[in-house]
Amino acid sequence: MGKEISRRSALGGMAAAVAAPTVFGSGSAWAQSGSTIKFGGSLGMSGRYAETGLNIRQGYETAIKFINEQKGGVEIGGKKYRVELAIVDDASDPARATSLIQRQVDGDVSFFLGSYGSNIVLPCAGITEAAGKLTVQVGASADQIFQQGYRNIFGFFPRASRAWVTSIEFFKSITPKPKSVSIIATNDAFSKANAQAAAAGCKEIGLQVLDVLELPEQVSDASSALATIRAKTPDILITTTVDQNSLVIVRQMIATDTSVPLLYQFLGPQLPMYRESLGAKATGVIMQLPWDAQIDSKDPIFGSTKAYIEYYNKNNTRALSYHTVGASACITTYVEAMRTAGGLDPAKVRNALAATNMSTAFGPVKFSPDGDGDAIVMGAKIGQVQSGKVQVVYPTDVKTADLIYPTPAWAKKS
Amino acid sequence: MNATLLLQTLVDGLILGGIFSLSAVGFSLIFGVLGVVNLAHGVFILAGAYLGLWLKGALGLDPLAAIPVVFLILAVIGGALQQTLVSAAIRRGSLMTSLLITFGASLILRDLLILAFGPDIQSLSSTWLLRTYHVGGVVIDGARATGLLASLVLLAVLAVALHAMKVGRAIRATAQQSFAAGLCGVDSNWIYMLTFGVSAGFAGASGIIIGMINPFSPFDDAYWTLNAFVTVVLGGIGSPVGALLGGLMLGEISTLSSQYIGPRFPNVFIFCALLLMLIVRPNGLLGNAYKASV
Repeated sequence: MGKEISRRSALGGMAAAVAAPTVFGSGSAWAQSGSTIKFGGSLGMSGRYAETGLNIRQGYETAIKFINEQKGGVEIGGKKYRVELAIVDDASDPARATSLIQRQVDGDVSFFLGSYGSNIVLPCAGITEAAGKLTVQVGASADQIFQQGYRNIFGFFPRASRAWVTSIEFFKSITPKPKSVSIIATNDAFSKANAQAAAAGCKEIGLQVLDVLELPEQVSDASSALATIRAKTPDILITTTVDQNSLVIVRQMIATDTSVPLLYQFLGPQLPMYRESLGAKATGVIMQLPWDAQIDSKDPIFGSTKAYIEYYNKNNTRALSYHTVGASACITTYVEAMRTAGGLDPAKVRNALAATNMSTAFGPVKFSPDGDGDAIVMGAKIGQVQSGKVQVVYPTDVKTADLIYPTPAWAKKS
Repeated sequence: MNATLLLQTLVDGLILGGIFSLSAVGFSLIFGVLGVVNLAHGVFILAGAYLGLWLKGALGLDPLAAIPVVFLILAVIGGALQQTLVSAAIRRGSLMTSLLITFGASLILRDLLILAFGPDIQSLSSTWLLRTYHVGGVVIDGARATGLLASLVLLAVLAVALHAMKVGRAIRATAQQSFAAGLCGVDSNWIYMLTFGVSAGFAGASGIIIGMINPFSPFDDAYWTLNAFVTVVLGGIGSPVGALLGGLMLGEISTLSSQYIGPRFPNVFIFCALLLMLIVRPNGLLGNAYKASV
């Protein structure tokens, strides 16, 4: 081979590469100045949550861009402010996230936007709460976050144990009346909390819970669980798994002819990739729908959901997800709370957030006394994949299509 | 005990084991010939899946038909990695240094995959996947059975190459006694590069099959590297048959423990099996295929 790199020159090169951003600047370091509001926080922009992290980041950036470029900033207490995003990559790692958040807390950030994943948001919430800083987030709903007595954390989803109110009502409403349910979860806080809530709710309305099957956190094979499902087939199969795991399970269900009258996948079918991957087989799958593009709501910054969608699509190529809209609505909610408070005093903004009851592009926003989304006002709708598209099938007053139930067996879908 | 359920579980284990064997093919070869634990192995698998995705999108090539192309591309990348980084690391440091180097390479390659394809979950589909079969009361997952067949074919190809071809003999000779092989005219540097390249090529080919069975994202690399490592430790280093046996054992442990202990426990039993094997038979079921001759 050619001349080898000497140790000295390699070390020198690496030192120069590390020092260069410091010398030449990696972008201006905005302080919480009198004319800029800085929203801080961390997001998993790499690591296992990167896909959703990217969706959320795009939502934040869309709102920031719109406010600064289209509105020229926001007027709060008679003063004009630009808004700035100071989000750092936590690599989907709770340990890294807490370290980064602590650094921002010690710095000049007063207003935080949450990360994605209850395992990250929970420890970070402890740090921001202890420092008296505010957090509004669209990435976590584990009960533990809202049971610590924290006053400064707000979430856009009802906590996991209350996230099933609409779904349970939906199960009560469908005919023929289902008699049994089985649940597949994974061994992590989010999935287990949702599985427990789903099981409890189903029992309350008289459904027999046949099995609650808990798989490892990363699912590569669900054959044993599906063998159990084939042996004792429920009327409803619920999976409280994250997107990738949901797709593994449903693809294996198709490959093993494991059909159920109603398949409810909490997360997964919302993604265009899920529906493209399954094609016609996706028809009939039910999901929670925190947001739907067909439902137009007023928004104090963007004007309306339709206007938001139009602006987003003009400025982004990435498909719109409910996390994106929710993330933009986090900024909207913060700004409106600051306007109500008449300034940036964290205590006053906190009280304004707690009293929020408004419409955004994401839909209505109202928080419970513990800070999670109000279970009725912010409860998810029920969606169903029909011919490759997501239709709202419940509540009936906002439905965009009739429910297909019972759904045909996999082999009959083409 | 329900006999049909037991049979179903055993069949599921065999099929799952096929996927594990597939993922371990290239890893076993590098470990056996070079003595390098290639922590970039999982990323090579994913790179194969992403290349298959790209070829399907750009040229309309069915993923299974894309296997030879993906094999060649990854073979070149693997060979280049070995020549530029791995061999230099071993020369300047030690075999342990290669662990760090391949780990670093995996991080860089993973980020390159994210840059090129994004962090989103993807999946592959093929019109050539087997359909579902019902035999008695047992359901055979066609997609995963395709994975088992593919792993048998790839392993057979590798076994033929190693035992029937001149270059295969040279690889085995270098693994057993590189000095003596050199005296017989074998260029060990070239053999190491070829081995790494072939292994990366096999990883990429297996990535296409895996991508058709499971959705994938750039962050799954550690999972596949770990699976390959466990498979190789169980089955034995360097041998395609060892990779097959190790994978099948892993599959059976996974499905049997899931079915009869609990679906959240397969990882516990897999690692218990790994520990047991390391204590009782550290070289795996078939031992080290390239144990150095005296």
